[in-house]
Amino acid sequence: MVATGQATAANAGSPGSGSGQGQPGGSGLAAGAGRVLRAVLGAPLRARSRRELLFCLAGLPFLAPIPVLAFFAVAAFVWDVIHPHTPNLAWPDMLAGGIAAVSLAAVLVGTGAARGLGGLWRKLAARLLGMHVAPLPPRPARSAAGWPAALRDGPGWRAIGYLMLKLPVGLLAVYAVFFWVFGLVNLSFPVWWLSFRNAPAGGHLNPVPVFTPLGYWGQGTFRVATFGGTLAAFAAGVLMLLAAPWATRAVVSLDRWLIGGLLGPGRLAQRVHDLEQSRALAVDDSAAVLRRLERNLHDGAQIRLATLAMNLGMAKEKLGAAGDVPDADAARELVDAALRDAKDAIGELRVLARGIHPPALDSGLSDALATLAAGSPIPVELDVSMPVRPTPAIETIAYFCAAELLANAVKHSLASRITLRAAGHAATLQLSVSDDGTGGADPARGSGLSGLRQRVAVVDGSLTIASPPGGPTQVTVDLPLRA
Amino acid sequence: MTNPPRQRAAVPRCTEEGGSLRPSDEGNAAPPSGPEAQSCTVVLAEDAALFRAGLVRLIEDHGHRVCAAVADGDALVAAVAEHHPDVAVADIRMPPTHTDEGLRAAVTVRAEHPGTGVLVLSQYIETKYAARLLAGSPSGGVGYLLKERVADVAEFLDALRRVAAGGTALDPEVVSQLLRASRRADDLDTLTERERGVLALMAEGRSNTGIASALVVSPGTVEKHVASIFGKLGLPSGEGDNRRVLAVLRYLGS
Repeated sequence: MVATGQATAANAGSPGSGSGQGQPGGSGLAAGAGRVLRAVLGAPLRARSRRELLFCLAGLPFLAPIPVLAFFAVAAFVWDVIHPHTPNLAWPDMLAGGIAAVSLAAVLVGTGAARGLGGLWRKLAARLLGMHVAPLPPRPARSAAGWPAALRDGPGWRAIGYLMLKLPVGLLAVYAVFFWVFGLVNLSFPVWWLSFRNAPAGGHLNPVPVFTPLGYWGQGTFRVATFGGTLAAFAAGVLMLLAAPWATRAVVSLDRWLIGGLLGPGRLAQRVHDLEQSRALAVDDSAAVLRRLERNLHDGAQIRLATLAMNLGMAKEKLGAAGDVPDADAARELVDAALRDAKDAIGELRVLARGIHPPALDSGLSDALATLAAGSPIPVELDVSMPVRPTPAIETIAYFCAAELLANAVKHSLASRITLRAAGHAATLQLSVSDDGTGGADPARGSGLSGLRQRVAVVDGSLTIASPPGGPTQVTVDLPLRA
Repeated sequence: MTNPPRQRAAVPRCTEEGGSLRPSDEGNAAPPSGPEAQSCTVVLAEDAALFRAGLVRLIEDHGHRVCAAVADGDALVAAVAEHHPDVAVADIRMPPTHTDEGLRAAVTVRAEHPGTGVLVLSQYIETKYAARLLAGSPSGGVGYLLKERVADVAEFLDALRRVAAGGTALDPEVVSQLLRASRRADDLDTLTERERGVLALMAEGRSNTGIASALVVSPGTVEKHVASIFGKLGLPSGEGDNRRVLAVLRYLGS
């Protein structure tokens, strides 16, 4: 089997499998190390790193309206006004501050400002991170009784939650930005040292603090008083700049997670959205199927039968009304043509009927797949293990997926062998079609694969394609056993 | 053998094209003679090759000449402009869009070449299509038939001749839909069963003689029925066949 054979070859190439194969394994290791080195050295220059830094920077001004900040500001104000001589915050102040913060949050939710701020972040994420979060569901309608509509706005409160959590994340972002800014500053030490520190000999020079993420914030991590020292600062700058992209990426990853969880439509709403979409696809798909069916009937059996009727009509005329046949030869020829039309019409109807529902499917998916495999012009190795029979709808979808994938492999892959597997697990049916052909199958180019993906999505299934240029191709379809 | 000289004489108006035209090769298959069998020139458009070939044969077997047989609407309009035939036969659904290009071509032909009648064939009957066709050609010279009507060779050729002569040919299916959907149901209820049959045949575009032979009665009887129908429905009588058809259709459609 093709796939297994290649997997074995890949294992044989891995290091430590024998002295003879040590060489290729070593070179692979070197190549891998080179790749890592390139990734590390190149990271600060990547567009992605730049965009992530921008995302962190863009966030900084928006830290101001965060309710937590407001809480401290209000609490400090209250503390100052009411207890000018109390050294510490007392609990009534905390309470007052808390109430003030919650009221502020309620105002933000009530006026829709929370949603607005959340939307701003969602837009930033889309613009800079390429992260597209579905828009929030609409605000709840005004109702006569109960809580004011504005305060029942769940997504609005989630947006407030995001803004609250944004405070610690924002501080982390400041830390990440620090890597970039002071990395560059440290890098420039030797340059400006030479330009500005050429004081006359014997003059007193204050040591200059060098800031790194390692500590001693106020005075710097270490101080530099000589040109040699600036080279240490330079080295620190290089290391900080190398680490900077990963620092920003870590912060941005955390932020992405928060945005996805809090600024999106929520899991239930997302599910509704997905279902709406797949329902629309199902409706479109069935409409397209019916249109195709009508078209096939119109251009196939219907026109054949019309031609058949015409030929019989002409033949009848040639046979005359009664008695002698005026033109027997022509009549015979026309009846022949009519017979041919009738046979063609029957053949076309048969193909059409099978396309609607393959009769072999009545006796189970494995029989139907066997019929399918037997009809393929490229040899197909069939491997079906189905302890439990899926529902008819799933069997039909699986069958048509297999038929289309086989047809694709035959048409495009130039393969010499195809493997068709169908395996039933606890709750899923996994169907895979692999070939040893040229690969390069791309759902973006042909509509066939994306059409299949849509059809599979209707029953919460998924379709994955592994088809590197040069092959081999493996398409896997996962379907639930019941739909 | 009269065919060769006639064809040569017709060259400026009608040239043979490609292999789609069947040369008439048998002396004994002479076209039927008689006043009804005058020869027409025909251009036809149909995308299904077998059906097209059959139509060409059927039409040519009966003494008409097919100047061009094409496969889409634009080619039909071009062929009509080139050959100025008596009648154009068009399938409704043809490439490229497979919707109603035949119908659009038919309306264009009627507008640009009033001397050419258009007979539209379809596998479906859509009253809307018939209405568009009649609206695009208020003076007649159009026909709309189901494709399988060609199996009834004599009737089909009769319809072809009527349309070529500026008359009308509507499929019985269209007429019965019109009758069913007509808002004049109350008036129509005053007609006898026989009169309704005559009305339907009139709406199909048949002459009194045509109606008489279809119902196997004398033309005089038909005339009496027609007079009675026109009286009951309050339609102006005494007009020519074609104007009578149009009056009936207007009545049913209004």
